[in-house]
Amino acid sequence: MRNGQKKSFASKGYGVTSIDELVAWARGGSMWPVTFGLACCAIEMMHGAASRFDMDRFGWGLYRGSPRQSDVLIVAGTLCNKMALAFRQTYDQMPEPKYVISMGSCANGGGYYHYSYSVVRGCDRIVPVDIYVPGCPPTAEALIYGVVQLMMKVKYEKRFREDRLSEDGCA
Amino acid sequence: MDALKLCLQQHCPTCQIEEGEQLSIIIRKEDVLSIADLLKTHHDFKMDMLLDLCVVDYLHYGLSEWDIQNATEHGYGRAQAEPMGSSSTWNGPRFVVVCHLLSLVNKIRLRLKVYLDDSLVMPSLVNIWPSSNWYEREAYDLFGIRFENHPDLRRILTDYGFIGFPFRKDFPLVGHVEMRYDGLSEKCIYEPVSIENRVGVPKVIREDHRYINTEIES
Amino acid sequence: MSHDSHYTINFGPQHPAAHGVLRLILEMKGETVIDIVPHIGLLHRATEKLAESKPYIQSIGYMDRLCYVSMMCNEHAYVMAIEKMLGLEVPIRAEYIRVMFSEITRILNHLIWLAAHGLDLGAMSIFLYCFREREDLLDMYEAVSGARMHATYFRPGGVKQDLPLSMPQYKKSSWKTDAQLAKLNAARSGSLLDFIEDFTTRFPSCVDQYETLLTDNRVWKQRTVGIGVIDADRAKALGFTGHMLRSTGVAWDLRKVQPYSVYDQLDFDVPLGKNGDCYDRYLQRIHEMRQSNRIIQQCISWLRENPGPVLADDVKVVPPTRVDMKDDMEALIHHFKLYSEGLILPKGEVYSSVEHPKGEFGIYMVSDGANKPYRMKVRAAGWPHLSAIKELCQGHMLADVVTILSSMDIVLGEIDR
Repeated sequence: MRNGQKKSFASKGYGVTSIDELVAWARGGSMWPVTFGLACCAIEMMHGAASRFDMDRFGWGLYRGSPRQSDVLIVAGTLCNKMALAFRQTYDQMPEPKYVISMGSCANGGGYYHYSYSVVRGCDRIVPVDIYVPGCPPTAEALIYGVVQLMMKVKYEKRFREDRLSEDGCA
Repeated sequence: MDALKLCLQQHCPTCQIEEGEQLSIIIRKEDVLSIADLLKTHHDFKMDMLLDLCVVDYLHYGLSEWDIQNATEHGYGRAQAEPMGSSSTWNGPRFVVVCHLLSLVNKIRLRLKVYLDDSLVMPSLVNIWPSSNWYEREAYDLFGIRFENHPDLRRILTDYGFIGFPFRKDFPLVGHVEMRYDGLSEKCIYEPVSIENRVGVPKVIREDHRYINTEIES
Repeated sequence: MSHDSHYTINFGPQHPAAHGVLRLILEMKGETVIDIVPHIGLLHRATEKLAESKPYIQSIGYMDRLCYVSMMCNEHAYVMAIEKMLGLEVPIRAEYIRVMFSEITRILNHLIWLAAHGLDLGAMSIFLYCFREREDLLDMYEAVSGARMHATYFRPGGVKQDLPLSMPQYKKSSWKTDAQLAKLNAARSGSLLDFIEDFTTRFPSCVDQYETLLTDNRVWKQRTVGIGVIDADRAKALGFTGHMLRSTGVAWDLRKVQPYSVYDQLDFDVPLGKNGDCYDRYLQRIHEMRQSNRIIQQCISWLRENPGPVLADDVKVVPPTRVDMKDDMEALIHHFKLYSEGLILPKGEVYSSVEHPKGEFGIYMVSDGANKPYRMKVRAAGWPHLSAIKELCQGHMLADVVTILSSMDIVLGEIDR
């Protein structure tokens, strides 16, 4: 508890905390990603979840196979035109509130394969993205930095989505 | 090696043989099945494995994107993205199907090149080497070569409704369409491509004196 | 052909056990598989066409990203193709470094294979054990090239730079005691070779740990023995190479039969299977990890005793050092031409292949005398393996499809390219 709250607890005998903060703390502290590794970045994502860079200590270790049970989608790898439909379906199947981390330069903007005919030049053409993690591939440490950024975003986000972008899903 | 060449020439007088780091045999599509059968069964060859089957499109062979020979007279212009040059240095057909074969028994490797004519049709090698199944599908998908008697010739790598044969030299690198999600119709849609290929380093062909003796004129 | 009693399932591209983006359409009768139709191309990035538009050196990175769990082996095939075309002689020290890193890559691949295979079959703890070793191997990659995964370390003419004389170390922090720090830095106090040597000393006991978990495990054997059986003749006809072929008993390993680089001067064994099933392939890969460890130890002792150049002397292919470039006019010109235009290959074609951890990985390159390849075809080791999945899974059950798919060691990066 912060100092202000401690004082009020001491003087009044009970603590008042805002619903926003409680919900944000609960949400951000245990986000379950859906397994969406596409290419090389998926390997670094696995490293992020493994022994040295343990993501589970942030609450992120429980990868769900089903999008319906997850909060966050980490797009790890190159998104191709053929895969884009399945990707959008996966995103649509996730329940609100959902977040997307675009990991790696291929997901950010086409990356090394930007000029290819079969690559979607950035996954933000298909879904709205919250955090972009640059790198090719971003080291597991960089991904964890992005993860912490998302947790901070969730923590300070307003509950009733007044300041979120429009809902139609376009970038 | 000489025994192999003799055997090939006896069996198929119209084939050409090239020696390089690997023995290459150039045949026409009419001889494909008989040569393939010979290569698989003859004891000198015994090619039991087809490692790879690919297609080469010789449309832009020998064409460079930046003319450097006449630069002293004309000055350097901006590098083009289109291949230029009066004629390609290739005097064979446009499409050539190249198969790489391996004999585990005799430990030899062979390259079989089939010169295709304008119909772009070739008999399938599936009955001789079953591994060529998916390679032929890929050749059809990316170049448009049809294989007769193939059990299942359809696209394998490109997108489901893709139009065109992407690896041909006249198909642009960036393609014709790109995809994005449209919120109004709630679908992933295709739109005409909005970028152009940015040429970082133009293709340059040098008349390099070091290689004059070692070049294999194809 | 569909019957009323058959049920078609989509084993979709987003799946924890699909090994990347692979879509399998399964026609099932109850729990038994009748037909499988794989849909690939969900990661088709047109690497070959992109390579045609870039100079040779800029495409080395594309090779890394093909089979993205065994990076340097792909690079090896590519730079060998360029060197064959040029007739370039690579210095022996560079060859030993290449072989050492190829074997490190082989261990990397087999570790992630074992982790994924175990995870698919439900043995989840092996994932953490294997990744613990992988972290050390990625530290070796990072020490030598700066990147944990996609190193771009092999260059035509040798390797980019010699092995570093010091390793990055853990720094003091408020949550580590001095004793813990000393323990973490114990292996990192010397040069990279000391670090690799320490790894090779520890590694056999790590492989013993994995074997303790799985090899004699009753459940593991029930899941893998007799699953996905193929016989030798059919394997040859289908184009199998690598472990899929050796598990049937065919002794074919390019490192022994058609040795390249310095493999003919090294002492190692190649495990062969008997039955052609998933259990044999598992045992082979475990054994091969031990043999790779042995090769790395031989390379380390050779490298310690033989200093020398790591890049060939050819000025038209290998850029000069920075020091030379600043002093010498010709070196400056060569530096300029190599970094602006790139190296030029003579007209011709070449096929070069290596014994990749997955099988035979080959590069077929056609050049018309330009600074970019005219056509570059990648022969991926997994392509014929995946095409035969219907035959391998005939009559097996749905859970066995996952076992067979992961025992084939499929990585969609090299299949879709």
